[in-house]
Amino acid sequence: MKPNYTELFAALSPEAALIVGALLVVVLDLTLGRKKIAEARWHAAVRIALLAVGLAGCFTFASGRPGAEFGGAFMLDALAQATRYSVLVLAALSLALLPGTARMRHPAEFVAVVLFATAGFSVMATAQNLLIAFLALELASLSLYVLAGFDKTRPESAEAALKYFLFGGVSAAFLLFGFSLLYGLTGSIELNVIARELGAQAASPLLVVALVMVLVAFGFKAAAVPFHLWAPDVYQGAPAPAAALIASASKVAGFTFFARLLWSGTGASSGQAPAWMLTLAILAGASLLLGNVAALAQRNLRRLLAYSAIAHAGIMLLGVMTGTRFGPGALLYYTFTYGLATVGTFGVIAIIERAGRCQDLDDLAGLYRRSPLLAGCLLMFVLSLAGIPPLAGFFGKFLLFSQALRLTGLTGPAGWLAIAAIALSAVALYYYLIVLKRAFVTPAVAGTEARIAVPLKPALALLLAAALLLALGVFPSSALRLVT
Amino acid sequence: MNSPHPYAFLALFAAVAVAFPLALLGVARLWARYFSPPKPSATKNDVYECGVAPTGDSWIQFKAHYYLYATLFLIFDVEVLFLLPIAVAFTELPVGALFAVLIFILLLAEGLVWAWHRGHLEWK
Repeated sequence: MKPNYTELFAALSPEAALIVGALLVVVLDLTLGRKKIAEARWHAAVRIALLAVGLAGCFTFASGRPGAEFGGAFMLDALAQATRYSVLVLAALSLALLPGTARMRHPAEFVAVVLFATAGFSVMATAQNLLIAFLALELASLSLYVLAGFDKTRPESAEAALKYFLFGGVSAAFLLFGFSLLYGLTGSIELNVIARELGAQAASPLLVVALVMVLVAFGFKAAAVPFHLWAPDVYQGAPAPAAALIASASKVAGFTFFARLLWSGTGASSGQAPAWMLTLAILAGASLLLGNVAALAQRNLRRLLAYSAIAHAGIMLLGVMTGTRFGPGALLYYTFTYGLATVGTFGVIAIIERAGRCQDLDDLAGLYRRSPLLAGCLLMFVLSLAGIPPLAGFFGKFLLFSQALRLTGLTGPAGWLAIAAIALSAVALYYYLIVLKRAFVTPAVAGTEARIAVPLKPALALLLAAALLLALGVFPSSALRLVT
Repeated sequence: MNSPHPYAFLALFAAVAVAFPLALLGVARLWARYFSPPKPSATKNDVYECGVAPTGDSWIQFKAHYYLYATLFLIFDVEVLFLLPIAVAFTELPVGALFAVLIFILLLAEGLVWAWHRGHLEWK
């Protein structure tokens, strides 16, 4: 078959827009930005990057002809398109947090690497071929390692980058090994051929090994127990906008990619419950339990967010299990709304950090008096994370839990997990409310009562994220229609 | 007689892989114990520098700047690696492929321009 490069170019035009945008950011900073102060360079870089992301969104809309592209290397279905939109929105919000809050050197490089990571996420969403998928995953991961270590003035940032890099490198090795075994079993790297071949042959020990390898890498990407150890340190040490990207867009793209791999690649073996279901259930249960319980003990706001992310990863893994029958809608809705809330929370942290320290929960004290806007946004984000109606976090949980209960009733692992997740949501509510109590009830410590100035672009990003959370919570069906 | 499990050879392989080096190391250990008792001296503990008498300490600071040159060399390396197959098939490729190649070259060239502008090519 002769590959059609024009079609390929049309299908991948969003990613091309992102890459060209990244190149433009760097070139313009090298030429026009040489004499400017850092603040102006941040603003210029972010403006170009937002333009590129917007253009990528338009191209995503225009590249709409659904179906397999380029001999089955890419799949432009509803899931891919919706994931692309989600990733672009989350990346744009993370970018908009930068001007006025970031104090790092080299603005253009930071922004360009964010765009590279976004291109990686976007390809991950469409990849239908193990090799393309791995390349996209590595592009995204390598960019994220750089972003995590970008703040050279703080040793914690370097620590975060090193830990993330080491864990990520090992998990990539596991993933490649799993992929090579899948290739050995089926003789193909294309997901639909793999599904057909695996459906035709009986389950073998080799398939189990391959699946376990893939699940290890998935567990790392999702920060699921027992592969979660990197998350608290990275969330604590990375610059806040980088942490926002790692916690949101990376999650969305990773879950779409691995869910597609598990559903279409290896889920179709002879109609019964797939072999990976039980392993995934164990990962999900462990993540739910450890994430929620460990978050109770945290005194550091960012570490608390990391453990809450681990708990949320447990719920998302439940979504991967239910997605085999009910489709990807609920999972994508949940990851996207979770991403919105985390980007927002990290945005609030970034803005507070500009005025002073924001590491411990106590640093939030008196936020209501110091900046009502930030406190109000934090309220929306944290309540959405906790799953309080009418915010989107509630509806995402409701949808996933009801699907899990319908999947096998109370007899299967999914049903039990749903019950456990509902019970642990009450635990989660406690530590989320502790965050809000610091922000709204505890008076500010003497010496830190000064009002916090909120720069314009980050403020708009926070308001947009909060408005999206409310809108998606009130009209969830209109968002779900995009996916199904 | 029923045939062994298809994965039985793996277990055998693992057992041999562990036993063989252990046996060799054990023999070496025994040999060292009985025939070459340790007699350390200043000359014996010296750093080996290809036979030349070593000068100074080996724990010195040296510039790790060269790794940047190695990384930048990769730009040309990768460029050749990918451009060669494209050049071979060039006459059969459509316009879209040309665009893709141009973006690819731009991506690599700009990396070099960036490093140049930021002064990473100067040996300080």
